[in-house]
Amino acid sequence: MTTGLALAAPWETLAVCLLLLVAPTVAVLHRPAWWVLAGIAATLTASLTVADGATAYAIAAAGALLHAVHAWQWSRTGALSLVAASAITAAAAGALSAGAGLAAFLLSAIAIAVRTGVPPLHGGVSSLCERAPAVQTQQMSSTIALVFLHLRFVDHIPEVAGWAPWLVRYGALACILAAIMTLAQRDLRGFYRGTTTMHGGMLMAALGAAALGNFAAALLVAVTVGLALGGLGMVITSLEERVGPVQYRGPGGRAAAFPVLTACFAVFGGAGVGLPGTAGFVADDLLLHTLWLQSPASTVAVILGSALIAVATLIGYSRTFLGPATPSVAPDLALRERAVAVLLLALLVTLGVAPYVLLVPADAFLRATIPAA
Amino acid sequence: MTALQPVLAVAVLSPMAAALAVGLRVVLGDDRPSERWVTSVIAAGLTLSVLGDLGVIGVFTGLVGPRIAGEIEFGDWLRLGDFVIPGVIQLDRVSVTLALFSSTLTALIARFSRTYLHKEPGYIRFFVLLGVFATGTQLVALAGALELFFAGWELIGIASALFIGFFHERDEPIRSSVRAFATYRLSDAGLLIATVATFELLGSARFSALEHAGELPPAESTMLALLFLLSAMGKSAQLPFSGWLPRAMEGPTPSSALFYGAVSIHAGVFLMLRVWPVLAVSPIARGVGVAVGLATAIYAATVARVHTDAKGALAHATLAQVGLILAEICLGWTTLALAHLLGHALLRLGQYLKAPNMIHDTHRVGHSHPGHGWIARVAPRLAARIYATALHRGRLDDLIDAIFAPVLAMARALDRADRWIRGQASLEGRR
Repeated sequence: MTTGLALAAPWETLAVCLLLLVAPTVAVLHRPAWWVLAGIAATLTASLTVADGATAYAIAAAGALLHAVHAWQWSRTGALSLVAASAITAAAAGALSAGAGLAAFLLSAIAIAVRTGVPPLHGGVSSLCERAPAVQTQQMSSTIALVFLHLRFVDHIPEVAGWAPWLVRYGALACILAAIMTLAQRDLRGFYRGTTTMHGGMLMAALGAAALGNFAAALLVAVTVGLALGGLGMVITSLEERVGPVQYRGPGGRAAAFPVLTACFAVFGGAGVGLPGTAGFVADDLLLHTLWLQSPASTVAVILGSALIAVATLIGYSRTFLGPATPSVAPDLALRERAVAVLLLALLVTLGVAPYVLLVPADAFLRATIPAA
Repeated sequence: MTALQPVLAVAVLSPMAAALAVGLRVVLGDDRPSERWVTSVIAAGLTLSVLGDLGVIGVFTGLVGPRIAGEIEFGDWLRLGDFVIPGVIQLDRVSVTLALFSSTLTALIARFSRTYLHKEPGYIRFFVLLGVFATGTQLVALAGALELFFAGWELIGIASALFIGFFHERDEPIRSSVRAFATYRLSDAGLLIATVATFELLGSARFSALEHAGELPPAESTMLALLFLLSAMGKSAQLPFSGWLPRAMEGPTPSSALFYGAVSIHAGVFLMLRVWPVLAVSPIARGVGVAVGLATAIYAATVARVHTDAKGALAHATLAQVGLILAEICLGWTTLALAHLLGHALLRLGQYLKAPNMIHDTHRVGHSHPGHGWIARVAPRLAARIYATALHRGRLDDLIDAIFAPVLAMARALDRADRWIRGQASLEGRR
C-alpha cells in the first residue's frame, strides 16, 4: 500500500507548490542560493509523497529551516519565526511517531498559524511581509504542503473533533480583527501584512472545519491564499523595486506609469477577496458552506472580515495607483515578470472556473489515504 | 446537451471573453492598442451576447424550434460529496426579458461611448469594464442558482466601483468609489449569508428550491427574506444606503446612464423578484420592504427637488422610482413592478445620456421656477427645515460615517497596539 500511495501522490497540489516556489525567483530579485531552492523543492516533493506522517512532518520541518536560511538576510524576526515553526513541525512529527494524535494536531495547527501569520503569532510573517514580500510568497509554497500534511495525517483523528470548533472560532476572530486592523494601514506593505494575517485567520477556520471531513475548503483556501497573495507580494516587490516604499499620502498616481503592474495588482487583490471567475470566489463559497455547519456566528465573522479586507484592498489600490499621474523613468513590468504574473493568474482563473481540477483528485487522494474519512 | 446551451454560453460569456482578450493583449506587451481595435473586440463580444439572447428568447417563446423553459443544466461547477455548486441557467419570462434588455442597452451604450470617450485616457479601461459588467448582468439575469447569481452580482459591483473612480485624477471620484464599494460589500454580506443559509436549510441554492421556503419555520424564512432585502437595499441604494448614489455620478455619463439609470440600480429589486417565494411567506420582511421603499421614495423625491446639478437630481429621481418598485414587489404586485422597472430604466437611460446637453437645452428653451408648494404656504418654517435637510441629503453620509467611526477608531487602536508589540519583539533593530 505504501508504494502505491507514493506513486499516487497529490501531483496537482505539488505542482502548485513548486510553481509558487519558483515564481519569485523568476520575477523578482529576492533569489535564494541554488542549493536552498533545490533543497526546498526536494523537501516539498518528499513531504507530499511519503506515506508515513512522522517522516513527512520531519521533512517539512527541514524545509522550513531552509526557508529560514533564505529569509535571514531580509528579516531576522521572520527567519527566527520560521525556525520556531520548524521546531514545532518537528515536534508534531515526534508526537505522531509517539502516537499522540491530539498533540500532533495542535502542534501542526500552531506551526501553520506561525507560517500564515495568524494573530497573535504573526510577528514573523508580518516582518517578512514588510521586508521581503517575495520571500513570504516562497515560504507560502511549503505552507500549502504543510496544510496538506495536516489534512492527511492529523485532522481526522477522532480526539481532535472536540478542538475543531475552537479552531474555527479562533480563526474567525483572528480573521475579523486582522481585517479591521488592515483598514488603518498607512502604507502598502502594511496592507500586505494585514491581508496576509487576515487570510491566515481564514485558513485556520478552514482547518477547524476540515476536522469534520471537509478537506477541500481548507486546501483550496490555502492554494488561493498562496497564489493570490503570492502574486500580490511579487507585484508589490516589483513596484517597490521601481519607486521605493509606497506610503498612503494621498493618491499615488502610478497607474499611468505602470498600467500593467496596476492591472496585475487589481486582479491578484481581487482574487484574494473572492473575485468571481478566480479561485478566490470558489474558495470563499466552499469555506463558508463548510464553516456554517460548525458555527454560523463564525461564518458571519468571516464574511464581514472578507468584506472589510475587500474595502482595504480597494483603498490600497486607490492610494497606490490612482490620482494625478506621477511620472517615472522606471519601466513597467518586464517580460519575465509579466510571464510569471500571467501564469499565476491563469492558474487562479483555471481553479476559479474548474476547481475540480485540483480538488477532486486531492479529495480522492485524501479519502483514499485516511482510514476514517 | 441541447442546442440552446452553446447559445446561452455565448450570451453570457462572450463579453467577458472580449474583455479578457483586450486585457491579455495589454498585459502581454501592447500597452496602447488602438481605440478601433478595442472597440471592435468589445463590440463583437456585446453583439454576440445580444444575438445569443435573441436566440434564447426565440427558443423560450417557441418561435425557433420547440419551446424550452425552466432550468438548463451546464453540469456542476463543483461537486464534492454532498456539496454542489450547480452551473444552471433559469429560463423564465423575467430572466429572458432582463437578459435581452440589459445586453441590448449595454451594446447601445458601447456604441454611444465610442464617440463620447474618443481620446479619453481611460478608453481601454472603460471598454474592458463594460465587458465585465455585461457578463455580470447576464449572470444576474439568467442564473438558476444563488452562487451563479452572486458571481454576477459581484462583477457588477466591482465594475460599478471602478467606473465611479474612472476620472481618478481628482480626489472626489476615488473617495466616492471606495464609499460605494464599501456599501456594496457590506450589504452583499446579506446575500452571501442568505446563499449559505438557503443551501443548508433547503438543501440547494437553486432558485427553484426557494419554492419550498413555505415549509421552513417562520423565523427562518423571515431571516432569509430579511438578508435578501438587506442586500437589495445596498445595491439599489435604498435608505439608509442611499448616500453612495449621488456620489456615483462622478463616473462617465454613459456608465452612469447604464448603471444608475438603467441596469445596475435595478439589480436589487430584480433580486427581490427572483426570491419572491421567500418574500411571499414572510410578511414581516415584506412590511419592512414596503416601509423602506416608500421612505426612500419620499426622501429621494424631496432631495431631487432641491438639487442644482443635473445628474444629482436625476440620481434622486431614479431612487424615488426604485423605492416605489421595491414597495410594489413587497406588496405582491410583481408584474406591475417588472413593467415599472423596464419602463423606468428606458426613461432614465435617455435622461442620463441627455444630461450633458441639459445646460444647452435650458439656455435654449428657458426654465421656470417651480414656485412655492403647499407646505411652504401652510407651514413656512417646516418647509424651510425640509429644504435645509434636503439640501444636505438628509445627512445620510454623516450618519453612516458616525456608525462606522467606532470601527475605524478600533482599527487605529488595534494597529497601534500591534505595532508596539511587534516593535518590542522585533529583532531587526539589533542587527
